[in-house]
Amino acid sequence: MAIRVGIPRGLLFYYYKDLWQNYLRGLGAEVVVSGETSQATLERGGLIDEVCLPVKAAVGHACELASAVDYLFVPRIVSVAAGQYSCPKIIGLPDMVRGSCPKLPPIIDNTINLRQGGLDVYRAVIACGRLLGKNPLTSLSAWYQACWNSSGAAAGRHPGDMTLKVALIGHPYMLNDRQISRDIVGKLADLGVGVVTADSVDPRTAENVTRRLTKRIFWHYCHRLAGAALALMYSLQPLDGMIFLTSFACGPDSLVGETLGRHARHLSLPFMLLTVDEHTAEAGFVTRLEAFTDMLQRRKSKCW
Amino acid sequence: MLVTFPQMGTLQVVLQSLLTSFGLKVLTPPVTRQTLEIGAAHAPETACLPFKISLGTFIQALEQGTDTIITCGGSGPCRLGYYSEVQKDILHDLGHDFELIVVEPDIGSVVQALRRLTPGRSWREIYQAFHLAGAKMTALDAIERQTCFSRPREIKSGSADSVKQEAVAAIDQAAEPAALDKVIKHFGDRFSALAIDRAATPLRIGVVGEIFVMLEPFVNQELSKRLGTMGVEVHSPMLLGEYVHTHILKNRTALKKNSVVMALAEPYLGHFVGGHGVKSVGYTVQMGRDGYDGMVHVFPFTCMPEVIAKNILPEVSRVAGIPVLSLAFDEQTGVAGVVTRLEAFTDLLRYRRRRAPGC
Repeated sequence: MAIRVGIPRGLLFYYYKDLWQNYLRGLGAEVVVSGETSQATLERGGLIDEVCLPVKAAVGHACELASAVDYLFVPRIVSVAAGQYSCPKIIGLPDMVRGSCPKLPPIIDNTINLRQGGLDVYRAVIACGRLLGKNPLTSLSAWYQACWNSSGAAAGRHPGDMTLKVALIGHPYMLNDRQISRDIVGKLADLGVGVVTADSVDPRTAENVTRRLTKRIFWHYCHRLAGAALALMYSLQPLDGMIFLTSFACGPDSLVGETLGRHARHLSLPFMLLTVDEHTAEAGFVTRLEAFTDMLQRRKSKCW
Repeated sequence: MLVTFPQMGTLQVVLQSLLTSFGLKVLTPPVTRQTLEIGAAHAPETACLPFKISLGTFIQALEQGTDTIITCGGSGPCRLGYYSEVQKDILHDLGHDFELIVVEPDIGSVVQALRRLTPGRSWREIYQAFHLAGAKMTALDAIERQTCFSRPREIKSGSADSVKQEAVAAIDQAAEPAALDKVIKHFGDRFSALAIDRAATPLRIGVVGEIFVMLEPFVNQELSKRLGTMGVEVHSPMLLGEYVHTHILKNRTALKKNSVVMALAEPYLGHFVGGHGVKSVGYTVQMGRDGYDGMVHVFPFTCMPEVIAKNILPEVSRVAGIPVLSLAFDEQTGVAGVVTRLEAFTDLLRYRRRRAPGC
């Protein structure tokens, strides 16, 4: 019987889902991905304290998978770009999972650290393959095929012929998780708002526009997000507004959101910071979205 | 040029000595409730406490006529490294005009900052300024250790603290190494002459966590003094000196000590997560082995590295057999809440000691 490897549906899974699944399948493993986040997932993950909601969700997913798989795949992604880190909570995720879930299967927590550049990812690919009983050559070829077959980031959403065009900025692990994001994308569509997300921005454009910041952001995923947000703000196609969706207690977002808000204010672009946590109530959330879109509509009809 | 810099406990004395030796005028408003309120009003809501307090200090100093801010940079993943960027924008939007000198953790940036701050000074003078500041730092740490030792044992309550206060003021005043040596000797004698109960065996508690909260008494509600008056001998393995020797000067003995602690943390937290997260875990393991009665782990609310440590410490506590109390501090923290928890914690530790075999 094939080895069953579980991937928690949370955090960086949303960036690398095809890549990870293809790679593990290439190693002959049966891949089990946890289901969509539910209230129960968040309650399980809620046993860890003071972290942001996506981390709680990720830990909840890991606990849900624990009894059903032979290995849990929670790689320690320290850095994926020279000079940059991922978030500290992503770095510490394997340890938080280990410290919180009872009766865990072995965790595949190989470190990937490309901060100083280098070939650390191949070391991790080989080490992970060895754990599943494959030789280095098989592991590397599985990795190459996975890279080849993975489409990369999810396709960006493009606004149709909606009246309002709003940029929705948030980490993919928030926007694509309907429980965490309270299905904000669907709610905005119901309100007749066309949504553009960071995925629709070409990475190179995003990288170029970050030169507007005097200091490079050292959290890789925030850097990408901020770059995309700035690119949308300064692009020639006019936006009606920007919503920055973040989770309470997200460290990097607290500073990056402030910077983006200040850029938006200088451009007189309406900007709303929307913070969610497990206590976020549906009614309050909807009210804020409605108020924001009403304001945008009124602003537009006055032909500013 | 009137210079200000972020406050952090005894760091103020050390940096003030350094900058005045360079011939600069320094203005550092003390951290008060008002500093915190001003900082919190202009900072992002969920930014961590050091951000808010240093922003408050900058605003107060700028209102009192400061024109230059010296602050630190960083390369992550702790938020500290990006403070200066956001604070600069906030201060500019508030309409302040100032020069910002950000010292990044690389030698080029340090040299550049020194050139801007010390035009026309020789390297010899600069070295002497650093030497004096370093000596003051060591002296202050020694005073802190002696105070922590004496507090739970003192016969007359408050006597250790009054000596400490005098000592800090005298160290601050000392303008040259010879004078400083005299001060150190004098207060060394004063501490040995202090009336203390040498037979006492007070509870021994280690304090670990984020350095700003550990070192700034305004923020931590005078944690070590409060514990001391509850009859606890406080051990802080991470005073300013350790931090500077390990992370800035990369002193060999300090690095060796550091690597031992990191190795102890390895089974629980396998990678550097920024700040002092790994060390909090490592020191808890170490102090558990060394037979300490308990640990107090302090950090600013939402501090990323320490929150990770906090979620791992219950497991460490169970395995290493040492009780741990985690305390998060923010602008809402009240004295009574902290005191109640510390009292409850020390009470439990006393019961625990009484029940321990061999007593």
